[in-house]
Amino acid sequence: MFVVGMHAPEIAATVRAGQFVNLAWPRGPLLRRPFSVYRAEGETIEVVLKAVGVGTAQLLGLRPGDRVSCLGPLGHGFDLSGPHAILVSGGLGVAPMPLAARDAHAAGMKVTWVHGARTAAELCTEAEGEVVVWATDDGSRGFHGTAVAAAPASGAIVVCGPNRMLAAAAERWPDAQVAVETYMGCGTGVCLGCAVPLRAGGCDRACKEGPVYRAADIDWTVLPAHLPYGVGA
Amino acid sequence: MSVDIGGLELRGPVLAASGTFGYGTEVPLLERRALGAMVSKGIFLRAREGTPPPRIAETPSGMLNAIGLQGPGSEVLIRDYAPRWAEWDFPVLVNINGESAAEYGELAAMLDGVPGVAGFEINISCPNVEQGGLYFGNDPRAAAAVTEAVRRRTRLPVWVKLTPMVSDIGVIARAVESAGADALCAINTFVGMSIDLNAYQPRLSFRTGGLSGPAIRPLAIHLAHQAARAVRIPVIGIGGISRAEDALEFLVAGCTAVQVGTATFVNPRAIAEVHDGIAAHLESKGYRSLADLPRYLPRD
Repeated sequence: MFVVGMHAPEIAATVRAGQFVNLAWPRGPLLRRPFSVYRAEGETIEVVLKAVGVGTAQLLGLRPGDRVSCLGPLGHGFDLSGPHAILVSGGLGVAPMPLAARDAHAAGMKVTWVHGARTAAELCTEAEGEVVVWATDDGSRGFHGTAVAAAPASGAIVVCGPNRMLAAAAERWPDAQVAVETYMGCGTGVCLGCAVPLRAGGCDRACKEGPVYRAADIDWTVLPAHLPYGVGA
Repeated sequence: MSVDIGGLELRGPVLAASGTFGYGTEVPLLERRALGAMVSKGIFLRAREGTPPPRIAETPSGMLNAIGLQGPGSEVLIRDYAPRWAEWDFPVLVNINGESAAEYGELAAMLDGVPGVAGFEINISCPNVEQGGLYFGNDPRAAAAVTEAVRRRTRLPVWVKLTPMVSDIGVIARAVESAGADALCAINTFVGMSIDLNAYQPRLSFRTGGLSGPAIRPLAIHLAHQAARAVRIPVIGIGGISRAEDALEFLVAGCTAVQVGTATFVNPRAIAEVHDGIAAHLESKGYRSLADLPRYLPRD
């Protein structure tokens, strides 16, 4: 997992947890790529990524001082209120959580962060919160099982991770706020490419009405569980 | 930089393509000063839910989309969007769709005279339910029937957006010209497909999608040129335009104006950049107006 920082004062000043930026870079893919904002401090924002494809490899190949085009902050973030925030993340779902911890603390909440990955080696190394719980699928560190299973039951629950994990979270906590992952075309609400199927019927846009939803509002049987982001040239 | 499209005067030759600009109200970042006109997201008489995800897939220099013409239907368009268009300083044309020629006509009649609706772009790339799902746009008689059905119900400008999925675009172009079209838009997306090698399934839930972006530009220029050679009415070029040079290729190839689509997804300022780049080109060559730009348009 890599953290990339960018000088983006306007975004850094206003971004809320769960919002994202849509990035384009020189000689990159045609479409922008959405990233949750990981941290924002002073005039800098950070995003977190894995080298999954050609695009992310190009992004990791940038040098300090290179310029990227950054649209944001986009979408609606988490609504954090109450006495206690439970942040539940899996894999790259760690992305919005440092900001969620920041916003929860600013709202006077106590923060418990539960983070899960397949193995101890894939866990993130940075965690914030009064209570931090680790979970691994293979039991190599912390709770043996998923982050959803490891999390305490009550509080304002915020979940981010693969859609399969979010569907499991929806079973346990219908009222949890989940940040979904979709393909995205424009990120600004016009292309309707990032459709999120709703239980009430129809679709709306992850980039505009989302990416944060009430878990039980999404039709998880129709939302793709995995996103093959292959472009191939 | 003004152009005349079949009697409709536009302040510039660069237009927003249907489906890439929503209803014009969504994106505050977009620069409108350079916009010659906007073509709305495609609309049917009634609301449509669209296709399930995944709806888009990126391909080399392009993207496939199968949105399924999701939209709120004509009543919501008249109530929520047209009143806002009426206040803008550029015309908005409505991209209209139907399952039968009669439905296209009914939709045009309903929108005719609504303040804010400046004209129609007919999407003939819809399946004709009355003819077993054959596409209107692939058959000169069906394409002409739809055009005529709309023409009879309105005095507003009627543009017809041609599909590239035909063996001779000139035949369709002439058919819709004879049926009363004021202009042609060439071209709509190409039908394409891409496979997910993890799932061994198409990457789009709809199986196929419309290919847009720079990948289709040379194909689009050729087809727009073929259409322009075949008719006397203006042709508006569409297909993979993201820079002024791309637009100029279409203009020289015989188009009167252009539409910018997919590029807006990537660069919200694309239309303004294309517009300003065309102006800079004309100036650098000493042309006083677009009319002075040399064209390559031998007549058939």
